[in-house]
Amino acid sequence: MDSISIRAPSMPSGGTKTQRRVKTRLPAAIALLPTALIVLVVYIGCMLWTVRLSFTSSTLLPKLDWVGLAQYSRLFVNDRFLTSASNIIIFGALFISGCLIIGFLLAVFIDQNIRGEGLFRTVFLYPYSMSFVVTGVAWQWFLNPGLGLQKLVRDMGFESFTFDWLVNQRMAIYTIVVAGLWHGAGLTMAILLAGLRGVDKDLWKAAKIDGIPTWRVYTSVVLPLLRPMVVTAVVLLTTGVVKLYDLVVAMTLGGPGIATEVPAKFVMDHLFERNNIGLGTAAATIMLITVVSILAPWVYVRYVRPQGRHA
Amino acid sequence: MSTVVPQGRRPQHLTIGRIGVYAFLVTAALFFLLPLWIMVVTSLKPMEEIRLGNILALPSAMTFEAWAKAWSSACTGLECNGISVGFWNSMRILIPSVILSIMAGAINGYALSFWRVKGANLMFGVLLLGAFIPYQVFLYPLVRIFSLSGIYNSLTCIVLVHVIFGLPTMTLLFRNYYAGLPIELFKAARIDGGGFWSIFFRVILPMSTPILVVATILQVTGIWNDFIFGLTFAGRENLPMTVQLNNIVNSTQGERAYNVDMAATMLAALVPLVVYFVSGRWFVRGIAAGAVKG
Amino acid sequence: MSMKTRVSAYTLSVALIWSSGALAQQKAEVLHWWTSAGESASVKVFADQFTKAGGTWVDNAIAGGANARTAGINRMVGGNPPTMMQFNTGKQFDELVSNDLVRDVDAQAKAGKWREIMPKPIVDATVREGKFFAVPVNIHGQNWMFYNTKIFADAGLEPPKTFPELVESGEKLKAKGIIPIALGGQPNWEHNLFRAVVVGHGGADMFRQLYGTRKPDVLKSPKFKETVELFGKMRGLVDPGSPGRNWNDATALVITNKAAMHFNGDWAKGEFIAAGQTAGKEYGCTVVGQEPKLVIGGDVFVFPATKDKTALATQDKLIQVLLDPTSQIEFNKKKGSIPVRMDVDVSSMDTCAQKSHSILKDPANQVESMEILSPPNFSGAMQDAVTQYWNNPNMSADAFIEKITSAMRDAG
Repeated sequence: MDSISIRAPSMPSGGTKTQRRVKTRLPAAIALLPTALIVLVVYIGCMLWTVRLSFTSSTLLPKLDWVGLAQYSRLFVNDRFLTSASNIIIFGALFISGCLIIGFLLAVFIDQNIRGEGLFRTVFLYPYSMSFVVTGVAWQWFLNPGLGLQKLVRDMGFESFTFDWLVNQRMAIYTIVVAGLWHGAGLTMAILLAGLRGVDKDLWKAAKIDGIPTWRVYTSVVLPLLRPMVVTAVVLLTTGVVKLYDLVVAMTLGGPGIATEVPAKFVMDHLFERNNIGLGTAAATIMLITVVSILAPWVYVRYVRPQGRHA
Repeated sequence: MSTVVPQGRRPQHLTIGRIGVYAFLVTAALFFLLPLWIMVVTSLKPMEEIRLGNILALPSAMTFEAWAKAWSSACTGLECNGISVGFWNSMRILIPSVILSIMAGAINGYALSFWRVKGANLMFGVLLLGAFIPYQVFLYPLVRIFSLSGIYNSLTCIVLVHVIFGLPTMTLLFRNYYAGLPIELFKAARIDGGGFWSIFFRVILPMSTPILVVATILQVTGIWNDFIFGLTFAGRENLPMTVQLNNIVNSTQGERAYNVDMAATMLAALVPLVVYFVSGRWFVRGIAAGAVKG
Repeated sequence: MSMKTRVSAYTLSVALIWSSGALAQQKAEVLHWWTSAGESASVKVFADQFTKAGGTWVDNAIAGGANARTAGINRMVGGNPPTMMQFNTGKQFDELVSNDLVRDVDAQAKAGKWREIMPKPIVDATVREGKFFAVPVNIHGQNWMFYNTKIFADAGLEPPKTFPELVESGEKLKAKGIIPIALGGQPNWEHNLFRAVVVGHGGADMFRQLYGTRKPDVLKSPKFKETVELFGKMRGLVDPGSPGRNWNDATALVITNKAAMHFNGDWAKGEFIAAGQTAGKEYGCTVVGQEPKLVIGGDVFVFPATKDKTALATQDKLIQVLLDPTSQIEFNKKKGSIPVRMDVDVSSMDTCAQKSHSILKDPANQVESMEILSPPNFSGAMQDAVTQYWNNPNMSADAFIEKITSAMRDAG
């Protein structure tokens, strides 16, 4: 996981017997049992159920017939699904890297012993607290060429100024990224700040004595130490990307045309608006397979293979 | 806390670097506040003024009517009592859900990073993958499971749902935070004869403050703003405030009162905002590090 | 005070049921998605009438049709359904009928002569296998054109009667710096505009073939291509800020004299009313097309199946309240729709509603809405196609028609 866990320390020394070891670990196993049950029944159960439904012709209510790959062959010629897939890659790459950069910068700057830290922190975090249904309207107005930024600048005398990303099919997805950054960067900042505050204070003293410039300490010493927190942030942001829905609904409803459609919206529309559970679950299954095939190797290497941190 | 040690240099007076720091933070803050500005001025305008479309302008006739209406008299169906109706329901859902899900995450994270239980990491891997599935996919099977077990449409049901869906992120958060704690600490506690629970409560939990703050921010926000689970699992008597909020701001064919929409949204966000502001005081340096030394 | 009495009455009633078993306390939980101020006022008409009749109305409003329907269906599946639940007139509840989840109300329909007093498209949309499974409560006309009377008067123009005329006067208005068409640029409103053009220019039969029988032949006719091209020309008549806009913001453009015309269902009257404007004065309403064909849909209530006698009696009482002539008039005045019963006197309603009623007097003018004709997966696929065509000025009519063809094929 990180440099520390590689130390892989051992159990208390003294040649414990397997039996005793099992006994001392029993409380840990019991503590994990409820989660294990939930994973089995809810997570695995629901995943299998979803996959099963994607092979049916279910419409409003699930039914367990069998239509083979029919839903999938529909899915892969569906423009909207294909556009959604490419949009989510653009959005995901820009959103995650943007949140990390902005979040890290904000965390570092806030960490400079500044006045009004609480205020700044709350300002950067507040977007996260608000429902997108209405903040999306505020963004939509601001980005609308007739109402917001473009009008403002033109009213100031720059008649030829144009900013129409929101209504421009090629650019609209980037406005979703901007609003997404506004929403997610604060949380990234909070996570990284928690990490920064966990860094040993002696480390700073030592660096100061050695005369290492502050920025060097951040990039060469602190950042590597923050790795677990960065991983946490990336995973949280990625789940946000995969589930991206509210933001698009509030700002563009997938438009102009289908320019800002995303996979989760495809799934939701088909499950609930369009009474097309078969196609919706097929899309959900594809999303799941994609996520699994990207993440499974990483999860395996990072979490499954190294058994805890003990030898 | 008085012995907070500076991070890097700590100049006594303004230097160019210092000005740069504030300039960056203020610029960033302005960007973050822009939509809030639009929302605040809109909420203070009457609808006639909003229709004209000057979204950034200050209201020419300022009125707090929309705020009062949003809180206590906006229509959300037959009843016109604003979003205040669901406030206590939301609280009753929020408090047990936040506490239980954070506890569950902390215990899982602790068990995963310090104890070696067979199959635990596999379980965690599957749990993590579960975090990537859109929630809506789970709704139908969960309704069936809960109605079979007889707790469908109750407070227990909605709290359980929040705990279940909080598990992946909470576990991840604590597991990775604990992965950064020095293992020597745990070993020492083991040698002193500490058991699973006593080490957790006496050693690990006291060092978890920063991550508890992050977990609280995440869960309070997520659970307070949840709409779809509350709607599906809470039952009519326990519907959270977001259902009223949605009823005010999200009508397909109805006329819209944007000022009330904006006010309602900001009012609904107050609880998470207070949590952000208050919990921030625990965002202090060196708690974990200090505990290690102590 | 009133809250207190309500609470105590409620507690009392619960206590009564508890103590005496099946005492006939008629408590009805109603699930619907009418939540805006105007909609709330309209649902209050039903609730008040029901209370007057001795029942207790427990309101369960959830904004957003899909949210409300999903919540209701989940509760039916979970075995805890509401007493009555809203759907749009059409196919949304087909599977609930085929799974025996909703009650057949044909006895009430026969007694109330519903088949005689309601327009045939509405009856057909509610009847499954010869029986009524829902109670229609209103008729919404979906293809109205609202226009700003002042703008047309100042420009010396008449509101257009046909779509080619509309394009012509739209160009003139545009030259004067006025937005000819205010459009809420979200896929469903773009699709609504397309349907207005199809029924107004292509005619009722073309509309039914496209959305109802869904045979690709209709797509090959030259008239269809002409219609599609006409729709394409209208792209130039909206302002650049249209994409993504809420329909409410579009009506605001007409209200504030910035835009001349707005296509929408009659529910849009709510925004004009909220702004203090009167139909026939500041704004007018008309149906564009050679003949005034009105596309009609609306709302129905279904009654989840139950064996409980008290619940059945409660449902019976609700049905009476819904179709009572007074509640019909009062409800629809507030909702913006017109009564589903054609036998009531509408002279107290606004001019748009009266116009609607008189158009529908002639059955030849009644056109079933897309919700009635198409299953949601086809209308959804159509919506995707329309929004792509509308937003890509480079997309040819033929490419659009090709997309519709494959939508038809997939929907089966």
